[in-house]
Amino acid sequence: MKRAFISVVFSFGALAFAAQAQDKVIRVGVLMPISGPGSYFGVMGKEGIDLALEQVAKTDLKGYKLQVQYEDSACSPLQATNTVKRVLDQLKPHIVIGEECSDASLAIAPILEQAKVVQLNAGSVTMKLTESGYKYVFRIFPNAEQQSAPLVKVARGHLKAQTAVILYEKTNAGNDNAEGFEKPFVAAGGKVLAKIDFGRDVNDFTAIATRIASLGKVDVLPTFALEGQQVRLSQALAQANVVKGGGGHGVQMGSIWLPWGYDQKAGQAAVGYVRIVQFDPNEKRKVVQDFIKAFQLKYGAGKTPTHINAHAYDTILLVAEAVRRGAKDSETIREQFTQFKDVEVTTGKISFDKKGQNSDLSVVHFVETQKDLSWKGLSWQ
Amino acid sequence: MTGVFTGKRGIAFLLALIVIAAAPWLLNSAYWRGILVLCAMNVLLALSLNLVLGYTGQLNLGQSAFFGIGAYVSTILIKTYGWNFWLAALAAVAAAGLVGLALAAFAARLRGHYLAIASLGFAVITYQVLVNWESVTQGVRGIYGILPPVPNAVALFYLVAGIGLLVYFLLDNLVHSPVGDTLRAIREDEVSAAALGVNGAVWKAFAFGLGAAIAGLAGCFYPGFVGTLVPDAFGIVESFTMMAMVIVGGMGTMIGPVIGAVVLTFLPELLRGFGELRLMIYGVALTLVVLFMPGGMVQAWIAFKNKLA
Amino acid sequence: MTDLLALVVQQSVNGIYLGCLYVMVALGLTLIYGVLNQINFAHADFVTVGAFSAFFTVTRFATKVLGIPDTGAYLLSLFSALGAGALLGWIVSAAVFAPLRRRGADELRPLIATIGVSVLLENGQLALFGPIPYQFDSPLARETIRLGPIFFSGQSALVVAVSVAAIAALYAFMRFTFMGKALRAVAQDRETAGLMGINENLVIALTIVIASALAGVAGAMLGPVVVLTPFTGASLIVKAFAIVIIGGFGNMEGTIIAGLLVGIIEAFTVQYLGSGLIDLVVFAMLLLMLVVRPTGLIAEHKEENV
Repeated sequence: MKRAFISVVFSFGALAFAAQAQDKVIRVGVLMPISGPGSYFGVMGKEGIDLALEQVAKTDLKGYKLQVQYEDSACSPLQATNTVKRVLDQLKPHIVIGEECSDASLAIAPILEQAKVVQLNAGSVTMKLTESGYKYVFRIFPNAEQQSAPLVKVARGHLKAQTAVILYEKTNAGNDNAEGFEKPFVAAGGKVLAKIDFGRDVNDFTAIATRIASLGKVDVLPTFALEGQQVRLSQALAQANVVKGGGGHGVQMGSIWLPWGYDQKAGQAAVGYVRIVQFDPNEKRKVVQDFIKAFQLKYGAGKTPTHINAHAYDTILLVAEAVRRGAKDSETIREQFTQFKDVEVTTGKISFDKKGQNSDLSVVHFVETQKDLSWKGLSWQ
Repeated sequence: MTGVFTGKRGIAFLLALIVIAAAPWLLNSAYWRGILVLCAMNVLLALSLNLVLGYTGQLNLGQSAFFGIGAYVSTILIKTYGWNFWLAALAAVAAAGLVGLALAAFAARLRGHYLAIASLGFAVITYQVLVNWESVTQGVRGIYGILPPVPNAVALFYLVAGIGLLVYFLLDNLVHSPVGDTLRAIREDEVSAAALGVNGAVWKAFAFGLGAAIAGLAGCFYPGFVGTLVPDAFGIVESFTMMAMVIVGGMGTMIGPVIGAVVLTFLPELLRGFGELRLMIYGVALTLVVLFMPGGMVQAWIAFKNKLA
Repeated sequence: MTDLLALVVQQSVNGIYLGCLYVMVALGLTLIYGVLNQINFAHADFVTVGAFSAFFTVTRFATKVLGIPDTGAYLLSLFSALGAGALLGWIVSAAVFAPLRRRGADELRPLIATIGVSVLLENGQLALFGPIPYQFDSPLARETIRLGPIFFSGQSALVVAVSVAAIAALYAFMRFTFMGKALRAVAQDRETAGLMGINENLVIALTIVIASALAGVAGAMLGPVVVLTPFTGASLIVKAFAIVIIGGFGNMEGTIIAGLLVGIIEAFTVQYLGSGLIDLVVFAMLLLMLVVRPTGLIAEHKEENV
């Protein structure tokens, strides 16, 4: 009898303790494209977030736990709208991470704004996300202008390029990046010989490469495509003798779209490729090396994380940091984010500007693909 | 038109009204109400396709094109030219219907698989126009900040479901009229029908045009519901989904498409817990239904009732 | 060679290569249609499966387990792709087409059933292989052959060579073997063929198996030159349909000519109009063909059974 009484008291105590612990939960909704072609991003995003959750659980979170609910937004505005409503209803999150595609990210922004829930975006590039006046949107992924402007500076300044052919995938992101290059390049006196777009279902680029070869002397070819198509494109350009990798003259330029490992896939065609990277596995910073070690421990020794893994990983790091600084709900998370200055994550340092865009690009640097397909860091800025 | 509210049909109509009225309160979260609106739109789409596919027997694989035309025409008129929603919707429905007539005129001589691929090709061309005519449609950039004609989800559901009910009612009368007999004659055997004096081309055009107009009507509500309009919402996959709804529900019946639309709107949502397996289950379900239950759920229900009798 | 001439020749070469790529996918489709009057919507997914089988044969099996060098491994993978395609074809024939034929199904049901199979295959592969593109290297993929100002990759030369060989083999089979003649008989008039003692079901099943095996080999050929993901098939299927119609349903010569035509038109569209317009031009061509000559480039003498 006494024992039963003690165990009842004990269980009540435990329940009360658990109930109290229940209060110290930060609810995080995650909208990722898990089905369809967009799952290219979603699979990597989920890997990054899963790993980050494990890692931050080992750190001091002031007694808080992170509770995550994943939803499949399939890169489509319809699915994104449905799933954001679902997650708002079921989880009542303090913060929603998403999405990877620009259309979907833009679709959920007004809904989250109205619900006064912070949206932390780590994958879209469209300027509209941070130019529409949303107070609850924060983005750590460089937007289209931030990606393309340095390319123009280097193209005109270091590479002394007069002519350019812009190649881009026919999506919101591709369009924005292409325009982000074209406008300043032309303003700086350059000439865009052609702006060539292609759908995501194009497999063969020899016709495009032949067309470029017929345009005359092309100095730089800024390209905005995902790695699958970029490999084929580079190979075709090399075959057509348009780019340095194939004995031609033009320099391929790119932004942070291509993951580590692209150069090995493209082979010699990638030699001479000049691009900006944000997540560089060669970086010696502790947070980067720790991330890579943990990643390889969890996902396999041969796998090097990509920037998509890294950006997703960083979102959880940022949430954790906000919690450590006293955030406990959506409003306080938002306040902490606005005050972030030089918060260090794997993709660099985070300082959100007034529009919610991370404006610290100190880690972004140029690399050039060498003959042995490794990256050589360039000190151009 | 015999007494509207008498007999079985009257009871069914009343029942439908009650279900529609109660649904947003039984499923009273923002998320499920959104799904209800989507369901109502899908019912309209399934009904529109069923008219062409089920009753007139025309293999139309490109219905999503008319859905898209309705969505884009109405949105552009509202956003760029400041039209009022209802006038824009009227124009969009007319536009979709006209394009449907054009497809029918073009495809007048085509049968079976030729028509199927032609309609598919037509859908691809429409999609490409939406993507490439950037000055008008914004292409892949998309159009944002689109408002629905009524302020909240419940009202929107009532509006679309109400229209769906009306369309159902009108189509039901149509298929039970001599027009319906004509369409069915064309479906069964176009050559013999011609021998009986039926002008196949005219009636096929009618079916295509009306089906396209209804799909266009559904399209008017879509952008306001999502808030965002991109061409990707109107591709081949959407056409196939509509077809699946018609077939799974029961092609060539009136209630079949409704059932199919409801099932295939709610099923993917209920399968969300399955992650990657969701679409796989979808594919298996579709194949199995077509193989073993060709008349769809309506057929299964009738067989079930017969077993009980 | 003047610049313009070189350009035209080069784009024509590109177009022929593209065309052969499409023909390899479309040929199986047209075969099935010819004998069965059915469209197999999952056909392009067979191509993808073929590509993946070849890929894994080369990377996991041939080089690691058997220790065969590159070229041998690649040749072996062609056979495994062929086998994978044939197996899939047999399954779909037995599980989908045959039962529906027994129940006297119309044209629509098998089409929808194969759409279901296509969705299943695509998402099954997505679950198995993931969405990240695979790097399939064949020994010839990185070789470039140059004849003066004209260039093409070794792999594209292989694609052209294998498609020519496959077409020739198929032709010989149809003309000179008993099975081939039986196939043509069934395609022309199933009832009469049956009356003459030909086992139609066997012939039809065999045709589907051959067509799917062809798709598998196409996948092994295409793997090194396309972006290899579970969605590769989807990017090819609709154009393959267009080619089959333009060439004339069930007509092999028509399909070949149409495929090459589409490839060349695509190349020149890219040159002069812009690659974003490829699909638009190809399908406009399709619709035009349907208006002008619905039976296809090479008229098929098929009577409408009243």
